[in-house]
Formats: sequence, C-alpha cells, structure tokens
Amino acid sequence: MVVKQDRRGFRGGALVARAFVTLAVITFVAVSMGACVSSLIEANDDGSGTPTRPPGTVGPVTADFASESGARRLTNHELDNTVRDLLGDDRRPATTVLLADQFAPFDNDYPTQMASEALITSLEIFATDVAGSVFADTARRDALVPCAPTGPDDTACFRAFIEDFAPKAFRRPITEEEVTAYLALQAFSVEDIAEVDNDFYTGIELVVRAILMDPEFLYRIEVGTPTERDGVFALDGYEVASRMSYFLWATTPDAALLAEAASGDLDTADGRRAAATRMLSDPRAQGQIRRFHTMWLGYRVLPHDTDLVANFEMETGALIDRVVFEEPQDYLNLFNFDETYLNTALATHYGLPAPDGGEGWVPYGDSGRAGILSHGTVLSAFAKFADTSPTQRGILIRSRLMCQQIPSPPPTVDVDAEPVGAEGACKYERYAAHRERSGCAGCHNEMDPIGFGLENYDMAGRFREHDDGRPECVITGDGNLPGGGTFNGPAELGQQLVDQGYIESCVMEQFYSFAIGRSAKGVEAAAVEELLAEFTSSGHDFTSLITSFVASPRFAHRREEAL
Amino acid sequence: MALKLNRRTFLVGVGGGVAVSLPVLDCMLDDNGNRAEAQTGSAPSRYAVLFGGQALGGDNWAEDNYMVGGARTTETGHFIAPAETGAGYTMTTPLEPLAMLRDDFSIVTNMAIPFNASDASAGAVPAGGAYRDFHGGGKSPLLSGTRSTEASFSCNGPTSDQVIADMHDGDTTFRHLVMRAQVPFYLSGYDHSGRQYLSYRTGGRSGRIEAQTSPRNAYLSLFTGFVPDDGAAAARLDFELRARRSVLDLVSAKRDRVLARVGRADQIRLERHFDEIRALELRIASIPPIATGECQMLPDPGADPSVGSDNSGAGSGDITGGTGYSNEHDRARVMCDLIHMAFVCDLTRVATLQITAFQSHMSVLPVSTDFGYPAYADLHELGHNGDTNNRGQFHVSMMLQWHISHYAYLMQKLKDTPEGAGSVLDNSALVFTTEAGHGRQLNDGSSPNATHSVENMAMLLGGHAGGLVTGQHVRTSGAHPVQALITAMQAAGYTGDSLGEVTGNIPELMG
Repeated sequence: MVVKQDRRGFRGGALVARAFVTLAVITFVAVSMGACVSSLIEANDDGSGTPTRPPGTVGPVTADFASESGARRLTNHELDNTVRDLLGDDRRPATTVLLADQFAPFDNDYPTQMASEALITSLEIFATDVAGSVFADTARRDALVPCAPTGPDDTACFRAFIEDFAPKAFRRPITEEEVTAYLALQAFSVEDIAEVDNDFYTGIELVVRAILMDPEFLYRIEVGTPTERDGVFALDGYEVASRMSYFLWATTPDAALLAEAASGDLDTADGRRAAATRMLSDPRAQGQIRRFHTMWLGYRVLPHDTDLVANFEMETGALIDRVVFEEPQDYLNLFNFDETYLNTALATHYGLPAPDGGEGWVPYGDSGRAGILSHGTVLSAFAKFADTSPTQRGILIRSRLMCQQIPSPPPTVDVDAEPVGAEGACKYERYAAHRERSGCAGCHNEMDPIGFGLENYDMAGRFREHDDGRPECVITGDGNLPGGGTFNGPAELGQQLVDQGYIESCVMEQFYSFAIGRSAKGVEAAAVEELLAEFTSSGHDFTSLITSFVASPRFAHRREEAL
Repeated sequence: MALKLNRRTFLVGVGGGVAVSLPVLDCMLDDNGNRAEAQTGSAPSRYAVLFGGQALGGDNWAEDNYMVGGARTTETGHFIAPAETGAGYTMTTPLEPLAMLRDDFSIVTNMAIPFNASDASAGAVPAGGAYRDFHGGGKSPLLSGTRSTEASFSCNGPTSDQVIADMHDGDTTFRHLVMRAQVPFYLSGYDHSGRQYLSYRTGGRSGRIEAQTSPRNAYLSLFTGFVPDDGAAAARLDFELRARRSVLDLVSAKRDRVLARVGRADQIRLERHFDEIRALELRIASIPPIATGECQMLPDPGADPSVGSDNSGAGSGDITGGTGYSNEHDRARVMCDLIHMAFVCDLTRVATLQITAFQSHMSVLPVSTDFGYPAYADLHELGHNGDTNNRGQFHVSMMLQWHISHYAYLMQKLKDTPEGAGSVLDNSALVFTTEAGHGRQLNDGSSPNATHSVENMAMLLGGHAGGLVTGQHVRTSGAHPVQALITAMQAAGYTGDSLGEVTGNIPELMG
C-alpha cells in the first residue's frame, strides 16, 4: 500500500503529483485498479501507509466548511511580481538573488518552505538591492514618494510616504504605532556626518528595506476572527483580497481590490464574484492560469533549445487562453481540441500544414492528434534515457491527469538502468520484463501500456513510424488505458480520459491544491467534490468555476492547522 | 584509435600561482582579538567537507576499462585507488591536482557501508547501514553514520561538520559556512527533493541546513563588515552597519506581536524566520573583522554566473550543450576562496561545500570539453551509461579529478597562508568524499562494478590538524567511510570516537 504524497522520497516530491481520486471516480477506480495504483483517499493520513479504510469506501462525505491554511511565504515568482507592481522593479530580483523554490509540483507548496540562515542572508541582500534600485532612479523614486520633501527633516513627507506605501506593501491598513516605528528611521536622513552622503531619501529607503524583510510582507499570514464553528475563522476583507490577488494574479492586490476590501465588498459572495470577474479580465490572470498548467503537467522547463521551447509554450498557451478566456467553453475541450496554434517553424517541426500568414490556428484533421496531449510541451515532459519513456509517460498520465498514486519501485530495482533485452531488441521488447516478470508487471502494466500508446510521438512531439534509427522496429502506437480500453495516440487517449471522467475530477483536485498552496489531504475529498459539482454544473467553464470558488464561503474562511 | 591517455593535470595552475602574497605578522589576531591562541601556537582547528555527487567508476566497466571517442581501451591508473599502499604510491588520474600536495593528504580506500544482501526491507538495515535503494539510501550512513530506512535523501542524525560546529558554537561570527556550487537539479520535470542538503544539525527535515548557492550572497555576508583603513570609508561603513541593524531591529521588534496573533503551527514557522533575523543582527553586531596579516578583505567576486536551464536532453548521449551548467567551476572556486579567507580570519571554523548535488545531473559537457574529451552526458548518466562514444572509467575519473581540483585549490591556498610557525593547513582537517564507490550494486546486492554502490569507496583526508598522518594510501579492509570522517573530526579536536552508529577511526592516520 502506498502512503500519501511523499515529499521525502526519491520518486516523491517532484515526480508524483499531489494526488487523490475524488468521489466521482472512486468506485470505478477501486474496481479497475490493480494492486499497484492507489488513490490518496485510501491512504492513512499518518503516513504509515496502512490503510484506515477498505478500498472503495470514502471518508467524510460532508465537506469541511473551511480549508486549513498556514502562513505561506511568497514564492520567488510572486515576490518578483510584487516588487514589480509595488516598486516598479521588473528585473525579477527574487529569482536572481534568493534560493530557488521547490516545485512539488507547484512552487507555492507552503509546507515545503522553511526559513534558514541562507534565506535570511539572501533576503537582506534582496531588500537592499531592490530598495537601492528604486532610489537610484529619480523617476521611480518620485513616483513612489507622494510629496516633495522640504529637507532631510521633513517629517510630514516622511510620514506621508509611510502612510501611503506601508498599507500597499502589507496589503492592509497600518496602525499609528507602526507609522511611529518607521519614523524612527528618519534619523538616518538627518544625521550629519561629513563622510556620508545621506539625505531625506536615505531614511525612506531604509523603510522600504525594513518592509521588504518583514514577515508580514513576505508571508501571507491569515488570522481571521473566530466563528461559531470550532477552529474555523472568518477572514477579513484584506486577507480575502490577498488570497484573491495571489491566487488569480500571483501578485499583490491593486488599489481597486484593497478599496473593495475596505468597503466590505469582499465580505459578501457577490462582492467577491464581481471582483474576481474583473480580475480575470486582466492579463495577469491569463499568465497565472498558463502557469498553473505548466507546473501541473510538468512542462515548466523543457529539455530543448530555447526557440523550440518558446514555440511549444506559445502553442499550449494559445490553446489554454482560447478555451479558458477568449472563447470560454467546456474546459475538457483542452484535451480533444481539433486544431492548434502554430507558426511556420513549429508546423514544419510537427509535419503539420503551415498556418496562413506565418502564424495561426491549424486543423489537426486525421493526424491522430487532438488537444494538449498532442503538444510538444506535454510530449516532452517525463522523458528518460535520451528517449521517450513509456513508463514515465504512464506515470505522468496516472499521477497528473488521473490523480492516482504510483508507488516507488521496490528498492532492489535500479531505476537508473535502462531496460535491456536481447541484442538488437526493439524498444517494445526491451520493456518485456516490465510486463512479464512477476513483481514488475503488477505496477508496470498500469503505466507502460499508456505510454506505449503515445510511442509514435518522440520526446519533441514529432510523429515517428519506428524506434529512433531503427526502421525494423515499427511502432504500432497501440496503447491501453487499464480499466478503460485500447487507444492509439494522444487524440484517443485524451478522449478516453475525458469520457471516463478522470480529467474533470483530477483537474479540480490539482486546482484545489494550487489554490490552497499545499497537497489536498484525504479528508478533503469532499471539498474537491464541491468544486467538481460546480465545475460540472457550469459545463466545465473554468473561469466560472474560479469565480464560484472565490465567492464560496470556503474562500473566505480558514481552519486552524492541526499540529 | 591508438589512444594512450595522459593522466594530464586538469586545470594547470591549480597547484601554483594562487598563493596570497601578504606580509606575515608575528602575531595573528582573529576577529575576536583573541591574541593568546595564536601566540601560543594553538591556532583554532578548522574542518571542511567537500562533496562530489558521483561514483568512482562507470556501470559495468571494470576499473581499468573505458571507451573514449568510440574506442575501447584498457589502461590502469585511472581508478582513484593507487596500486600501492603507504607512502610513495603512484598518483592516479583523479588525484593529479594533488600532485604537489601529496604530503598534505592521505587517501583511504576500499571502504564500505554495510547493507543486508539477503533482505532489502527497512527493518533489515544494519547499524550505520544503507537501505537497499541506492540514491537516498546511501546518504544518511555516509554523512551521519546513521542507518537509512527508506530511499529518501535525508540524514537521520547530525553530520560530521555540525558535530564540529557544536564544539565551536559561539566562538566565531559564523557557526559554519554551508554552500553548494550546483544550483538547479537540471533534470527536466524534477526537483532536488533533498539531494541538495549536505549538512544536518539534527536528523530529519527540521535539522537540515539550507546551503547558500550564491557566491555573491556568501561573499557579501562574510566580507561587508570589514573595517576599511580609509577613515571616510570607515565612517560610511559604520553608518551602513548601523542602518542595517536598525532595519533588522524594527523587524525583530514585531516578533511578539506577530506571534501572539497566530496559531501554533504558524508560530513555529515564523519563529524560525524571526530567529534567523535575530541571528543576522547578532552577526552584524559582532566585533567587525579587521584586515590584518593574512586576513584580508577579498575582492568582490561580482555578479553570480547565470543559472543554466535544464538539460537539453533526457539522459545519456543526447545533451547538446548550452544547458545543465551554471559555471559550477567558477562558483566552486569563489566558494573555496571564501572558505579559505573565512578560515584565515577565523570568521568560521567549519565549512561544507557541495560541489555537485547527490545524483547530480549537471552537464559534464563544458568541463569535459575543457579537458579535451567532450562527453555529451550529465554527471549522473556519465556513471551509468556515458554517452554513445564515451563511457567507463576514464571520463568518470576526469570528472572526479575536476571535483578534486577544487579540493586541491582550497588546500593549496590554506598551505600558502602562514599561521603561527606553519600554515593554516597545519590547523585544518579537510575531507573530500563522493556519493558512491564502485562495487556491488546496492539495489540488487550483487551486480559488480556498479555506480549504485556503497562498496569500494574512498575519501581524502587533508591537512595536518591534530597530527593527522598524511602522504599515505591506506587500503582498509572494508572500513566504514564514517570512520574516515571520525578520523578527520578527531584531528580537528573532536574527543568522541563515534558518529551516529559508527565507532572508531582509521588508526593508521592518527598521529
């Protein structure tokens, strides 16, 4: 039996998706799965791997009213966006100066975060660097400071800056006590030392530095007020505003959103719905939804040259934009869309017809391709041994699109050794041990047949008739989705995953994890089920789902974390 | 292809030309002004561990076998263990950078971490032993002497460097330097997931120590506090240091108010953040280092080399270059410069440098091109499969030589820096270790010549602290590698005789 998401293990963390299967498919899965694949919902939350419930039964059927939340540090991506929007710094300094975030598979997984000496050392350098860049640039400085100081000791202007900047940075109103504390830094403006070239802005710059290092800036700390439900707290308008902003935009709230927090608009479902609708029309929302997909489907960084990667990202981004934003429609069409956005180079790469005018939508026709699973982005992900890996692709589909947990292979298997077969054996034969040897077959038969159904597409998404450089090794492209049926190629696989209900439930689970910033827990199946019901009733309209989620009571409450 | 490979020294100049030519003072001050220690000749001992995320040989290739440029070759002298034991052994390919330093280190070979060959279950792992899934399973016993019971890249007890750091806690401004030269994991779709930690203060997740990966950040944190000679510059520095402390004070002052508002789980998270803020404040407030004698402010290393993207390929043989590398060479060199001067100035007495991560997927193409035999693989695949035309012992040894060149660089700098009647190296114990040996495969317990092996392991112990015996090749009969660590720890003043579940040292090296 499999433990839930294992952040520690070799194949845990980055590889295995946050995974459990929701109610919609649980019965089906329980019947169809072999001994290998499991869903998190069966697993014991204590991590022991001992199931607390027999397979096929579920935990609480009533969703908890609120989701657990803890203080989460802004990711480097969020921090870069935040200093861009607050201070006009578009150099992406957090990514440059700070330690890299861990991707599990989302970068906003707050239980993976831990403050360290290296982090704090780097944060001070980051704060000094960012503040320094603002005040080295007169135009940016003057845009930030809302008054013209009469001299180093202009306390009114110093105070005006604090009162203007600090609430924006802290995403909430500030107290007089806080203002007073920052005013003390004006001492560095007025201090008269011959060798030091200090002025009014010296102290202002220190205020910025202090705020950039402040946990109330660096973390989103949610407190709320107690409700009649034990352990459940109602978030205040500002806490909701931050949730919305980092969820929909990956950055700090804008003035309009903070005003809506102040007015109490965000305390109501309608108010949140209206705000979310406005925010979704901002390009930053498009960027965020694209980014969710890059992390979820594992194509965040691709093993190709930059031109090809840029083309792949353009293609997949265009499809996501079209399905979610531009021509809002059934989100599941993402997996069976019958045309794709190409430029001439990418059309040539795929061997598809060139688009008119050098760039545009091209019909897939009877190419065997349809939807995002046909894109170079997804087909590039999870390769191994310098080629596609049917096993890894099977894991990708199982873990990320079916939200199932694949256990680590037994320790005695060396997963770094390429499958070998008889001298000159074709790839399919080299994988024979996986499907024939007892102890291997139980799991590999749940993964490899999926990957072999995509085998006609190489690790750069090009169609191929045979193994690379081996014309005698003809690839049939026949695959099997265990419990589903046979398929051949990404179009048929995508359709099967849609038809069997995997995509709609699994994307909700992934989306939930991304929204709350941590893996969903087994007991949260019902919460995901809520989302799924909403998603289904809206005809799988993704933005409608988002606005409904933001409007829901869950979004405006939190549960205190259990230790 | 008639190829008789020279065991050429990679990176000529490693041995020479790096000396810091500074006046030797009779009396050396450390940053605490602790005159007595230096005057009596009992300078503090220093301890460092440098790590390379690779094995000692190639999968399925015997120690003498390899293929370069498509030609299979058999040639001795490339495997790290010398043919002869004792003094005067013939240097091997990986050791070439240490040719000029052969009397300053010893090599310990034929070590092994125990495992249960007949039972791969967690409960069957012997004391100090390895869980039978190599990657992950070998880490805890190698670094902490504590058995692993799962394939996770963790340690179940404190690592040797942290035991030494505990001895010196509070004596220096920096408890330790923990740095890593390799930045990303480089394997598309994956993340380090624990492979990036080398130092653990205690076992488990909460005890791991995040490494600084930015040479520039490490430099700034170590060397911005130096008091300049120039009075005006000193005044400006004083102003800046006061400003930094005031800023941090403001943040620290919020501690109680913030913690009082949040639940226990958030308190734990945020306490850690506030604790580190406070620690930074204390470091800034400590007596500023004074450049004197050999202790000198280092020049600014400038911006960090740009961080490379993930490998342009999925495994062996298909890396096309331009990716998978963030100039780890220069990064490691700067980090060695920092360790050297931090030791000289007594800013710290303990350092770890993870040159490459566990199971490192750094592209070897740039480095192997530099040494004249390009291999289109990452470091991990180089051990397993190489590329189509290059595999086996030679390339593995050349990458090992590259790792050791950094160790040699640090050692030479410490040797060239006078201290008391000798050099800083006389008061240092420096360890180099790799992730793996080259013996039976740990996973299946039987396949020979495997990279996934905790057998046939080697460590280098350098420096003369504690009278460490150097100039020797000690071929053990299967000593635990942690016994070599304990030897270095004892040389650095450790009075215990165990680390984790492993007891004892390498007696031949105890002076």
